[in-house]
Amino acid sequence: MTTVSTSAFYERSNQDLAALRARADALQAAISSGQRLTTGSDDPVAAARMRRLTRSDSFAEIDQAVAARASSDLTLTDQALSSFAASLIRVQELATQAANGVLTNGQRAGIATELDQIRDEMVRLANTRDSAGHALFGGDSAGNAYSIGAGGVPLYVGTLTASDLPLGDGQSVTRGLTGPEFLNFSLGGSPTDLFAVVKVLSDALKGAVPDPAQAARDALGALDTGLEAITTQQTVVGARLNWIDLNTERATQMGQLRAEEEAEVGGTDLALAVSQLQQTMTVLEASQASFARLASLSLFDMLR
Amino acid sequence: MSSDLLNIAASGVRAARAGLDVTSQNIANASTQGYVRRTLRQSEVALAGGYGRIGDLSLSGVRIDGLQRNADMFRQAEVRRTSGDATRAGDELKTWQNVEAALEQARIFPALTQFEGALQRLATDPVDPSLRTAVLEDARTLTKTFNIAANGLDTVATGLQFDAASGVGQVNLFAQQLAQLNVHLARATPGSSDQVSLLDRRDALLQNLSGQADVSASFAADQTVTVRIGGASGPTLVSGNTSATLASATAGDGTLSFTLGASPVTLSSGSLAAAAQGLVMVRDTKARLDAVADALIATANAAQGSGVALDGSPGQPLFSGSGAAGIALALNSGAQLATAPAGSPAGSRDPANLTAIRAALSTADISGQASGLLFEVASATQGRKLTSETLDSIADAARLALDSQAGVNLDEEAVNLVRYQQAFQASSKAIQVASDMFDTLLAIR
Repeated sequence: MTTVSTSAFYERSNQDLAALRARADALQAAISSGQRLTTGSDDPVAAARMRRLTRSDSFAEIDQAVAARASSDLTLTDQALSSFAASLIRVQELATQAANGVLTNGQRAGIATELDQIRDEMVRLANTRDSAGHALFGGDSAGNAYSIGAGGVPLYVGTLTASDLPLGDGQSVTRGLTGPEFLNFSLGGSPTDLFAVVKVLSDALKGAVPDPAQAARDALGALDTGLEAITTQQTVVGARLNWIDLNTERATQMGQLRAEEEAEVGGTDLALAVSQLQQTMTVLEASQASFARLASLSLFDMLR
Repeated sequence: MSSDLLNIAASGVRAARAGLDVTSQNIANASTQGYVRRTLRQSEVALAGGYGRIGDLSLSGVRIDGLQRNADMFRQAEVRRTSGDATRAGDELKTWQNVEAALEQARIFPALTQFEGALQRLATDPVDPSLRTAVLEDARTLTKTFNIAANGLDTVATGLQFDAASGVGQVNLFAQQLAQLNVHLARATPGSSDQVSLLDRRDALLQNLSGQADVSASFAADQTVTVRIGGASGPTLVSGNTSATLASATAGDGTLSFTLGASPVTLSSGSLAAAAQGLVMVRDTKARLDAVADALIATANAAQGSGVALDGSPGQPLFSGSGAAGIALALNSGAQLATAPAGSPAGSRDPANLTAIRAALSTADISGQASGLLFEVASATQGRKLTSETLDSIADAARLALDSQAGVNLDEEAVNLVRYQQAFQASSKAIQVASDMFDTLLAIR
């Protein structure tokens, strides 16, 4: 015959009620925090997965900031290239005017003065700074992109190329253009740059050559090549901006996928948790009621 | 007639009164820890018939033989064994949980991610002083998280050593008390209330002892106990009135070993075994954490050394010290971060070496190592949780089995109370009858 001793009855009831209470507590914590995992040992695999996901999340956030930065630098580059193109078109107009044979030498000298102004403007434009205050066209140079050498000749002092910015998942974009990439071109097989072309034209108009009008006509061809170089590079910049947009879009989609996975791996399934809590509470209430009934049963009350 | 009705009735009254005493003692101790239900043993007193007195009636009433303790030796041994295992598993789980908390709450992994993120952000503008400072501060935070984790593990180890020291003290105290108890037990009369309460005390001491270490007890005919520690073939802790002294020694790496006299003791259950195993585990975890910290120091410093700082000078080590407890930030200005490759001029924006640092950290997989360590500790903790729950339920079942058999059931005692009360009243009535009979005889004229 098995008899249950009084202390065993109380102890077992105590254990059962405490276990139910602990279970209800755990479910309540999961519901109120929305997180299924409170410590790693609740589900080590899911916890490791969550660590990887949150790590990717925080890196993706930085990738977005980097992409925004690259995008703003490239937009600045694009605007500066448009200004270059506008200046160049003005130079072309002036060259066309100067090519006219009826102009006097004095009038040509006036045009030459304006050309010098435009050239100075272009040098300043080539030394534009980006959003962080660095030379926009200097590659990775610490100071200016161009310095003025002997005889007022601008010399490129930046690095050979601009560095790449990472966009995440192994993708990257070149952050900008260096001056020589769009200002240098080759003319009749020999390398030259836009500043030199304008300088030669202005010198010719001031009377350095016997036929300034012919020199102006010759310069028109060189200016066309220069404009072409600038517009080509503008296309490159546009393509890079598109590439950033594409990457941003991809990153957003990846972020959504990650968020879904995070919710799946570490989040509480509310419907399930609430119904489990309800079930636990029902059992707990029933246990409490039956315990109260059993504990109040005593033979001592019956014997009079 | 060798006895008379009065004597018989008086012995009945005495027995019933003793029964009432035992019953009320049981009721009073219904919730006393380690109390074993007693029952009264009594036997009839009657003379056997002798030569020529075959038809004689020689009844002399009832005799109280003594108290019986309703303890099942096997169930008691089971409770000792299973509760020792459950204590060990429970303590081991607690240690693992503490280690897990020390590692998780130090937040090494998020700090590592933060540091690598700061390096990634610096790539947008390697000469930006605020981004450089951010990298430096995140590196500082990272070293602190390693320090905190190492400190947390040390705290766990110190707690375990303290537990073990007090556990050893308790084992020695219990052993001394058992030796004294053996002396008293050898003198006690079998069945006396003295012996019964000594036996309760003996079983409680053995129970306490098995909570600390695995002991095996063997009982002599006079109920004295011989205790061996560390299993049935271990050295003798208590024998007769002598007890040996258990001692513990802490090795240089913080692990524990036990000796009894000159012989080494290997414990497999109880709190002391859990503390010894826990210290080994803490030492191993700390070695793993140190390995992660050392890998970080070596990787970051090597990569930093192959570049130049903002002023064009060669890169200095990023971290100093060694191990999780010793790692510290060695640079004091963000400008000292070597983002540019060797040979670059001062103020270079070339991020080649920054890329190299990031690539080196990613190749060495520092974050993977940290995550792996966390994963191992977490899954070990999960496994221990399962073991502990299983052993707990086994120990609970054993204790309930013993309690059902040896514990007090108040309903049963209520019935006994009524039964002995009735026996008392009936025996009193017998005295009344004897008195009436005597009066009847005297009244004959």
